[in-house]
Amino acid sequence: MSTLRLRGDLPERVDLLNITPLALSGLSEAEAGKLAIGTSRRGLTLGDVFEISLDGSDSLVIEGGSSRLDRVGAALSQGAIRVEGDVGQRLGEGMAAGTLTVTGSAGPYAGTGATGGTITIEGDAGDHAGGAVYAAKAGLDGATLVIKGAAGDHLGDRMRRGIILAGSAGAYAGSRMIAGTIVVSGALGDHPGYGMRRGTLIAGSHGTLLPTFVETGTPDLVFVRLLAQSLKHLGAAQASLLGGTLRRYSGDLATIGKGELFVPA
Amino acid sequence: MAAWVKGGAADIGAAVEAAADLLAASRVPVLAGLSAEVSALRAAYRLAETLGASLDPVSGPSVYAELGALSAGGAMSTTRAETIGRADVVLIVGNRPWDGELIAEIAAAAPSRGRAAGSERALLSLGGPQNGAIRHVAYAAESGGLAISLGHLRAFAKGHLAGEAAFADLAKRLFAAQYGVIIYDPEEVGELGAEMLQGLIRDLNESTRFFALTLADPFQGRAAVQLSAWTTGQAPRVGFGRHQPEHDSWRFDSARQIAAGEADAALWLASLPAPRPAWLGSLPTIAIVGEGSQEAAGETAEVVITVGVPGQSVGGALWNDRRGVIAYAEASDPSKTQAETETAAGVLTRIRDRLIEKGVSC
Repeated sequence: MSTLRLRGDLPERVDLLNITPLALSGLSEAEAGKLAIGTSRRGLTLGDVFEISLDGSDSLVIEGGSSRLDRVGAALSQGAIRVEGDVGQRLGEGMAAGTLTVTGSAGPYAGTGATGGTITIEGDAGDHAGGAVYAAKAGLDGATLVIKGAAGDHLGDRMRRGIILAGSAGAYAGSRMIAGTIVVSGALGDHPGYGMRRGTLIAGSHGTLLPTFVETGTPDLVFVRLLAQSLKHLGAAQASLLGGTLRRYSGDLATIGKGELFVPA
Repeated sequence: MAAWVKGGAADIGAAVEAAADLLAASRVPVLAGLSAEVSALRAAYRLAETLGASLDPVSGPSVYAELGALSAGGAMSTTRAETIGRADVVLIVGNRPWDGELIAEIAAAAPSRGRAAGSERALLSLGGPQNGAIRHVAYAAESGGLAISLGHLRAFAKGHLAGEAAFADLAKRLFAAQYGVIIYDPEEVGELGAEMLQGLIRDLNESTRFFALTLADPFQGRAAVQLSAWTTGQAPRVGFGRHQPEHDSWRFDSARQIAAGEADAALWLASLPAPRPAWLGSLPTIAIVGEGSQEAAGETAEVVITVGVPGQSVGGALWNDRRGVIAYAEASDPSKTQAETETAAGVLTRIRDRLIEKGVSC
């Protein structure tokens, strides 16, 4: 297990794109220490920010966190990264496979464009978790994003595929969703599913509903039981939500309207 | 021209020197405001490149509400002149379009060109201020705001909702247009609302002709968008910290950077009037402001330099809202010669030259 131990408070945002177990496996600690991760003209390197201990394994632990650690685990394609603390924006951006765990909270755009693997945030996530960044085609795109705490506004904005689990979410959850599944054990904020085309939102409760969502009854769906089975090991709170009768709303009728929102009846 | 350093009057040379020292000592400088003529914007982007700074126009919220929707799904847009010449149905969304003369000008004429020539012009409003002076049919907005209302209207336009609701009637009127235009302010409607509105326009174009007339922000944001695009290939919130232009609309939001304590120096550029930022005074700042403005005073910032106001005391290329282009505006006040007045571009270039002399570079 390789380790990066944060030396102290970060004087600027740093960009950990490509700081993955695979990228570090072929480097000596001295070589890794020279990798540029700063975002200002001062040119911070990995060695300036972290005490580095490498063993060539496919598992990396970042000891100490900061809301200025951007793109942790971005483009991860194999192995595991665990952050003991907080991270900044774009956690696991474009990640293809592997596991990424954050014991603290994440900034905005966690899991954006991630096509595979599992991202777990044990604390809260900022706005646009699983959402698309500016000018991107899609947010979460096949990966699994588990947020044990609260997610901010615009959870899963323009999400294309994959699963998001969260404890609660802010306003406009599932906005502009293309497809995929979001299960929130607690409450959603106002106006969930704004502009959603397809996809499934399941929540314990919700704020103000859009006038473009219409109730379609309480169907007994095999899909929900299958989903509950598959969620058992990912999130017990979310899986238990699926045990009872669910009321279904169809929307957003402002678009093609093939999306759906389920809440306990 | 007047300048102040730490509250005391200074000559331009001393103010430029102090500005260069302040920027050279910083780690994460931001150039904000950018409410200025094109030559000053160009000089600001060059300074940022030399310094490794990021840029953020005061018009950011408006610019990104529009660009966000545009980058996601494109836009079908028209101009003010085409609207006046061709539109037989005009839907005015929100309050902001009613400011200024635009709506009165549209109401005063009938379509004279194209397929709707000779027909009457119908003005419709959604969530407007109920202006009694101009004849129009008013529809109230939903309690959730304009974006929710636009979604609701679009559901009726698509035929996914039906009934006797007001929006059913409005949707019918829109489809009856021969050449329709929807006027909106992107900041007022928001990015989600702007995208929904463009989707509605696409739906309407299945059977008739419909376009958007998007209002520009009043702080040269559209000029900044164009200049940034031709200079960096990106939208305006760009940073040069890593020797190349990086775009990130969240990271380079100057208000966020300053509130989070990331930025340690700022340069506020407003040769044209712009709302005073709340963060002024919270970090070392250089203010380059128009002469005669409220900010043209020693207490505004550590270093304050006044410059000519484009279109008044100096000439400059500015966004022309009426024509929808960048156009040169002559100085309207001939009492001063150009030689007596510093331009914002001149001051920014002098600061950059001084930084290069000091050996500061990204």
